[in-house]
Amino acid sequence: MALEEYAGDMSMCCRCSACKFVPLQQVKGFKHANVCPSISRYNFHFYSGGGRLNLGYAGLKNGFQYVPRYLDVLYNCQLCGACDVSCKYGMDMEVLRPIQEMRIKAVEDGHPHPALETVVSRMRATGSMVPVAGRKRGDWAEGLGLRNALEEKVEILYHVGCLTSFDPERQKVARATARVLDRAGVSFGVLGEAETCCGGRAYEMGHQADFLAQAAKSKELVEKTGVKTLVTSCATCYQVYKVLYDRFGLKDELEVLHITQLLERLLGEGRLKPSRGQEITVTYHDPCHLGRLGEPWIHWQGKKIPGDRFVFDPPKPYRRGTHGVYEPPRRVLAALPGVRLVEMDRIKEYAWCGGSCGGVIDSNPEFAEWTAAERLAEATCTGAEAIVTASPWSEKLFAQVLAKNGGDLAVYDIVELVDQAV
Amino acid sequence: MALDKEIYAAFAGVVGEENICDDPALMPAYFFTDFAAVVLPKSTAEVQAVVRLCNQFRLQFRPICTGWTGFFRPGTVLLDLRRMDQIVEINEKNMYAVVEPYVTSAQLQAELFKRGLCTNLKGAGAQCSAMLRGHGHLDQSMGADDRNHLAVEWVTPDGELVRLGSLGSVGEWFSGDGPGPSLRSLISSVVPPSCTPGVFTKVAMKLYHWPGPTRYSLTGYSPRYLLAEKPPNMMARYYSFPTLDQMWQAEIKIGEAEIALELMGFNVAMVAANITTSNEEDEAMFKRLSQEVQGPGFFVIIAGNSPDDFAYKKKVLETIIAENEGMSLKSVEDPEIEGILLTQCTRISASVRETFRPGGNFKSIPIMGQRDLTIRWAVGAGQAKLPLIEQGLIADDGGGFFGWGVEHGHLGKTEIFCKFSPLNPEARKAVDAWAEQQSNRALEEKYFALTMGPPEQIDSKVGPALSNYHLWWYKVLATLDPNEVIPDKGVSKLHP
Amino acid sequence: MMIERKKLAETVGESNLYDDEATLEAYSRDMSFANPTRPRFVVKPHTATEVKELVKLARETNTPLVPVSSGAPHFRGDTVPSTGGAVVVDLSEMKKIVFVDRARRVAMVEPGVTFGELIPVAREEGIRLNMPLLPRSTKSVVGSMLEREPVVMPSYQWDVSDPLACLEVVFGTGDDFRTGQAAGPGTVEEQWAVGGRQKAPYGPHVAAWHRLVQGAQGTMGIVTWASLRCELLPQVQEAFLVGSARLGPLLEMARWLIRLRLVNECFVLSGLDLAAVSAQARPGHLQRLRSALPAWTLFYVVAGYEYFPEERVAVNIKDISALGQRLGLEPVPALGGISARELMKTVQQPSGEPYWKLRYKGGCEDVLFLAPFDRLEVLTELVARLALEDGLTVGEYGVYIQPTVQGTSCHCEFNFFYDPDDAQDVLRVKRLVAAAVRSLLDAGAFFSRPYGEAAGIVMNRDAASLDILRRLKKIFDPAAVMNPGKLCF
Ligand code: SF4
Ligand code: SF4
Repeated sequence: MALEEYAGDMSMCCRCSACKFVPLQQVKGFKHANVCPSISRYNFHFYSGGGRLNLGYAGLKNGFQYVPRYLDVLYNCQLCGACDVSCKYGMDMEVLRPIQEMRIKAVEDGHPHPALETVVSRMRATGSMVPVAGRKRGDWAEGLGLRNALEEKVEILYHVGCLTSFDPERQKVARATARVLDRAGVSFGVLGEAETCCGGRAYEMGHQADFLAQAAKSKELVEKTGVKTLVTSCATCYQVYKVLYDRFGLKDELEVLHITQLLERLLGEGRLKPSRGQEITVTYHDPCHLGRLGEPWIHWQGKKIPGDRFVFDPPKPYRRGTHGVYEPPRRVLAALPGVRLVEMDRIKEYAWCGGSCGGVIDSNPEFAEWTAAERLAEATCTGAEAIVTASPWSEKLFAQVLAKNGGDLAVYDIVELVDQAV
Repeated sequence: MALDKEIYAAFAGVVGEENICDDPALMPAYFFTDFAAVVLPKSTAEVQAVVRLCNQFRLQFRPICTGWTGFFRPGTVLLDLRRMDQIVEINEKNMYAVVEPYVTSAQLQAELFKRGLCTNLKGAGAQCSAMLRGHGHLDQSMGADDRNHLAVEWVTPDGELVRLGSLGSVGEWFSGDGPGPSLRSLISSVVPPSCTPGVFTKVAMKLYHWPGPTRYSLTGYSPRYLLAEKPPNMMARYYSFPTLDQMWQAEIKIGEAEIALELMGFNVAMVAANITTSNEEDEAMFKRLSQEVQGPGFFVIIAGNSPDDFAYKKKVLETIIAENEGMSLKSVEDPEIEGILLTQCTRISASVRETFRPGGNFKSIPIMGQRDLTIRWAVGAGQAKLPLIEQGLIADDGGGFFGWGVEHGHLGKTEIFCKFSPLNPEARKAVDAWAEQQSNRALEEKYFALTMGPPEQIDSKVGPALSNYHLWWYKVLATLDPNEVIPDKGVSKLHP
Repeated sequence: MMIERKKLAETVGESNLYDDEATLEAYSRDMSFANPTRPRFVVKPHTATEVKELVKLARETNTPLVPVSSGAPHFRGDTVPSTGGAVVVDLSEMKKIVFVDRARRVAMVEPGVTFGELIPVAREEGIRLNMPLLPRSTKSVVGSMLEREPVVMPSYQWDVSDPLACLEVVFGTGDDFRTGQAAGPGTVEEQWAVGGRQKAPYGPHVAAWHRLVQGAQGTMGIVTWASLRCELLPQVQEAFLVGSARLGPLLEMARWLIRLRLVNECFVLSGLDLAAVSAQARPGHLQRLRSALPAWTLFYVVAGYEYFPEERVAVNIKDISALGQRLGLEPVPALGGISARELMKTVQQPSGEPYWKLRYKGGCEDVLFLAPFDRLEVLTELVARLALEDGLTVGEYGVYIQPTVQGTSCHCEFNFFYDPDDAQDVLRVKRLVAAAVRSLLDAGAFFSRPYGEAAGIVMNRDAASLDILRRLKKIFDPAAVMNPGKLCF
């Protein structure tokens, strides 16, 4: 859908500012009331969800002016969707959708972000979102003896994702995932060197055409394996296969699981029996893509009913962040002996973004790190010894920021903890 | 309408390059107005410096806290006070909190709950600034308007710093009046979007005892949070009455008996809006509730300081309701809905559901003052809405209005609005006409007069009808604002 | 220039114009240490029109006007002309109780109406006033509100301006103006016709005009009527006393009583003040009472209204007793020969004769200010030290602490009693008052209602506010004829 189709939504913005804060019922104190990294960092209203909609609405009316400040606003957004959830607590309107469309429009109008364009052209060339640097995609699995889903029939395809595959520091998560699945006796395979990027991050960067091209490649590959289920330990990949592909009609019948959902299932079935573990107090960071953005896509088509109200025929169901993947990771943590979970103030559908969404780590690393640092400070307030997440992107950024700024917090991917316990 | 280079540099010199924007391409984000610039001062000193520059360059300015709908003239310098966001002090012993403009009511309230205290939240919602003058759900027991302000730190239109009351004399916030006449007389409009004479940079707000929990324990996900367990000694009900007069009698008796934490004269359309998470649900719920009620009604929360206190208040409430043939709405007795209303209507977290969600816009006539008088006016104004509803120009709320007693019924607030789509010019025209007719009627029939109208109307009609206050106000403003940096002589209007 | 006698007589009538020696002498001084200054005339207008005419005359002729609404004795020097040639406008003849409205809990009165006059009329309707502590019987209700006198039921004082609602004022320009709901539309009579009762204090518009007139000591204009919010008459009331050698715990208790809205009347008196308030006009009675009283006493009243009043009282008493236990204090119905119930009756009326502040020694000079709860112990100790340095022990002066505005601060009043015929005594109190004001100011006491000599010191501490006030004064009284010289203008 193009931006024009959200004109009605954008006109609904009443400038109430709710999109700047966690849903008001969840404001727990002076601290941690903000939910939008962008306005929290840059302060002008146009960095908020509502301000962006106003710009979009005015742009549709009077034409877009791609002045530097506008581009700065456009690309300094995590596309984390927190504004969308907070707005939809009270309103019936789309917020994140038009914000995303504004970016796509900018790219189409010839105003991509240079740094993001570099990333996307790399994807075009290498099928990877991250620098390949002479490594091979399947290197991490060396010596593990994993099955190749293109060569052997398996029930589940483990899609590793670009960052986990190529980043030497993240490969441990892939290995841990494989070990755990193996111990649970899951019939799974990987694509090895053939695996390719899901394309989702290119979409968030505004490069819709590139996304679609890459998605077609990925889809073809997955189809080749014949699996009915895809599991991934990357929150972004999860959201892309589960939601974005669905939206563009690319998902078909494929069951898409995040590793935490599969682990929850395996624990429930008794196929995984955690028995050892360190005594540790942790807090859990909901990755945006697994949480609110991971809410399933709802296919709907309809028309606005003419008249006084912004209502549709048939009634329009909104994705409000209600059905994200919130509980599976928590249940997994609860099942690990010795692990005690303490929650941060901003969690689940109103979690503060970890900083690595929306291409910001590439377009403005300073903003990405600032966003992550806010999250780490919030985590520290809980008294936890470690922050656990379920996304390699946030894990990487957290580790990077902690290394830079100092702090006692340890960072884990949830799979690592499971791996230690079983 | 960007600034001259020299002027821009002067402002940037005060707030820093990163806190000023005069790019016309970005201005629509702020109220669709072509502001000369938006500046983000961080401190009182910066506000003063910015205001002085406005004087020097003869630029009109307006401040906003968290912002809300409003009408602003093109070419104005907007002081967005977002960076002034600190709670300066919570003084439990003397029951006040000092806040900067961008502390939200939600933040302050959450901190206060932890201390067994609360503040009056404005009906516009908990995302609004905690320092505003205004009205809200808790007016019954927590006052309203400028009456909740103590000392105020004020940057006058010409950039002087005035510290009211005890603040100016002894540097403390407990009193805003004196020595001698109170300068609170001039600043009771801590209520943008009406024009304020200068900028209020810190305000001490009166606090109230909070008998509820230190934090509501909630379950569920947005947009439907449920109360995990009902706090002790609290209860929420909606009562409807056979007649408006019986409703009014019950309302005033409840006020006199001082038993209600909250008495909110919601019509059922507003109850429906509050407890539902979409327009469709809302519509169905409104139909359902409309059939359940016997007539006009109100929503009440009672809360006891002790089990005995609660039992007493409940008994009195039930007696008063029975005396006036009131009937409790069964839907609200459902613990789930009761819980939603209890949390929603004390934390004021869903006001947009009542106002903006259906159509995207609403136009309101809010009146503070003598409740029985304004109710009588509102009945007529509500009836005048019916043709618009029939024509499908505004959302159907049954011609309802709402309101409540303030300070246990000593004062009152009545409000009526039309919800409509901003995309429908015909609707806006009809709603504007309705609003004009109804406010004219109020004036002609001597009920009240709206002072938030367009300046022309103030001069020709409203001012002369109200002791010529406008002439005095203009004189006051002229002495405070020699360079005329306050737009519209400080009598702005809410809507274009 | 000076208003001609003839013009004055034409305006108020010959019989309401006084320039005889005795009258002028009487209006030239009060019980305070203000320098006696004889007015040129005293007039007693009967209507707002007459007042308006007087202000116009004064403006034309640059004649100072000194408005007075209460009867003698006056204590604060605010009704004593600061300059020669003034005309005292004594409003005590404007005695109309315009209305008392039970349903809306509001009354409207002219400035000459005293507490003694309004209380029974209000009671008849089922409502009562939130009063200052034992006003003298001649005290004007309007005058008291205009002075922002503290009231004894702080729970009902939502705003410092309470119980004042609306007022009509003739500004120094000669223009009349009505504040709040009374401003319009229409005249007050037209408003009555549709059911309006002038109670809402707001506006018009973004100014709260009544606040400008309040606390001005007549320097902005002359008020010709005011309306006031009233409270319901309780059906059941029970009064209690709590004694303590220490002030702190009593204030802590008072704070909670108000915070939880458990009580109506609520204040703290020192032993001497409590004795003075309760003493009958028998020789030695005051002294005897005093000797049996603790240093400090908290007084409060628990009340019940229309619905199950006994139950409400019982519930509140139970909650209070839990509070008392927590603080180690015990509320009792009688203390040192003083019955709480009797005291309650006393404070629900104006003072009996002689006025309570004159009972001990015949004269009294007050030092009064606002302070936060947690500052009062320090401030009272500070004054005790100062007094002792001048040979006055704690028990020889009175202290009245009145929580205000629902417990956001306290009015604190030191009553320095003296024998007007004892020059030494007078001198010492003068000295002490001056020293106390200075020290208290430095220690954080806020003199929100500065009178007499203190006014200059106090007002000048806040130059920014004073500057604005001066500008306002120029607008509302450009000829500076309204009680000039009282508040630095
Ligand atoms: S986007 Fe939604 S939450 Fe934000 S200001 Fe607009 S209506 Fe309010
Ligand atoms: S998507 Fe995230 S960063 Fe962007 S405006 Fe919304 S809340 Fe802010």
